[in-house]
Amino acid sequence: MKSEQDSFEALFKAEYARVAGIANRVLFDPQEAEDVAQEVFIDFHRLHSATSPYAAPWLYRAAAHTALNRLRGRRRRERREHSQAVEEGSRAIDPQQVAEANEDRRRVRRALAKLPARPAAVLVLRSSGLSYSEVAEALGVRTGQIGTLLRRAEEALRKEVTRGTSA
Amino acid sequence: MAHLHDGTLRRMLDDPDAVTTPEREHFASCAECRARQEALAADARSAALLMATPATSFDAGAAYKRISAQPSRPRFGFRLPVIRAASRPVLAGVALAAVLAVAVTAAVNVSTIFAPQTVTPVPVTLADFQSLPDLSSYGDITWSQQPQPSVGITKAEAEKIAGFSAPNAGTLPSGVSSTVTYGAMPQTTGVFKFSAAKAEAAAAAQGKTIPKMPAGMDGSTLTLTMGPALVEIYGDLKSSSADSQGMPVPHLIVAESVRPLVTSTGVTVKQLEDYLLAQPGITPQLAADIRAIGDPTTTLPIPVPIQFATSSKVTVQGVPGVALGDNTGVGAAVVWIKHGDVFIVGGSLKQSEALTVANALR
Repeated sequence: MKSEQDSFEALFKAEYARVAGIANRVLFDPQEAEDVAQEVFIDFHRLHSATSPYAAPWLYRAAAHTALNRLRGRRRRERREHSQAVEEGSRAIDPQQVAEANEDRRRVRRALAKLPARPAAVLVLRSSGLSYSEVAEALGVRTGQIGTLLRRAEEALRKEVTRGTSA
Repeated sequence: MAHLHDGTLRRMLDDPDAVTTPEREHFASCAECRARQEALAADARSAALLMATPATSFDAGAAYKRISAQPSRPRFGFRLPVIRAASRPVLAGVALAAVLAVAVTAAVNVSTIFAPQTVTPVPVTLADFQSLPDLSSYGDITWSQQPQPSVGITKAEAEKIAGFSAPNAGTLPSGVSSTVTYGAMPQTTGVFKFSAAKAEAAAAAQGKTIPKMPAGMDGSTLTLTMGPALVEIYGDLKSSSADSQGMPVPHLIVAESVRPLVTSTGVTVKQLEDYLLAQPGITPQLAADIRAIGDPTTTLPIPVPIQFATSSKVTVQGVPGVALGDNTGVGAAVVWIKHGDVFIVGGSLKQSEALTVANALR
């Protein structure tokens, strides 16, 4: 019989890339996404057994919410954007392209941070490759609701990004 | 047939087979639904582009090594329903106040044991929480076994770890899920060793001056024995019931633990109480409240954050108890000691419901 630690290691190795990928989808920053993923796993380990049947959905949801919460932390976001812009600018060939890419990311992140929590999480999880039923299980809603939540999130994202562009 | 919902139209973009035959037939013959789907397909394509990220690989093995190298933290099994991210510092303060209060009640020598027989509320303020000294600055604690609750185990496993039967909550209040998650923690013992040098260095680092430790305290030890304990968490932890961080929120928690025991070498209760209550940050009111506990060797103080909770003395199962919270249903808890065990019933309940469950507990 596997020990709790062995079970946790197996869970970690099986789900880490996906959990970090979900966080990266929100943050556009692999290093911070890994911070979020590790925080989420440590929280899970402290609170639950690795053999819990809800382990994977719990991790997906926590990754999306934790990353979105980080995004909403304005000061941290601004610091990250500044350092990222400097770093990318220094190695870029075309400063104009880099500036545009940074601006696009900024707009998307700003828009994501403004979406209501549940549609934002649906958008993030679905964009990260989870199936409708996996998204539903992670967020504790019926699979039939995912299409509606996704549609709402995509429409809201378009409006927010458009508003950000015209502002 | 009525027009298709946006959600159905959206899902059809990802999975055309996920709709019923009548829906598919309606869609094929309805120009309006097709036009609506085109509009939302444009949003879907746009969102997919906006949400795209460069391909990134994450090394799970390296990440696991990183977190394994971090100092291990005890696995505290559950989060009370009233706990929110913003209140975590406050709860850390509550925990500290509890440790402080227990330490204050420690016994005279190693053969004398702190064995609470009853509970009493100790009102504490936010200012008290924020200014409480960090006990880890006064010495070092060594665990014979780290407190390591297991959660998500079966009832039988929980009972095996705890060594006693799981309490039976009887009829649950309406709205409380009958889905139960069990947790348990084996008995654990920690030895706290006072260090005058560490205490003075920690105080100096913060620009504070602390009273000198009384003779015999430096190097003396407090031995704290906790548990075993068993907890029942009612509520579907997979459901949509979640706090602001999206974490599961249980409806009801029932916990039973063998009462904590504290033994002491080198210091008397009076010395310990005088020293700890003279530390910077302990307000005169808090000191007075702790001194007013009564018999410190037989009373378990329950810190009550007065800005967030009200408390009242109640009778539970024929013994004195402390009830926290109110009848708004936001949160309430009842704590009591009977037959040497500490019981806690709490959750997103009215106080009257928590009391009913507490009295019915078998």
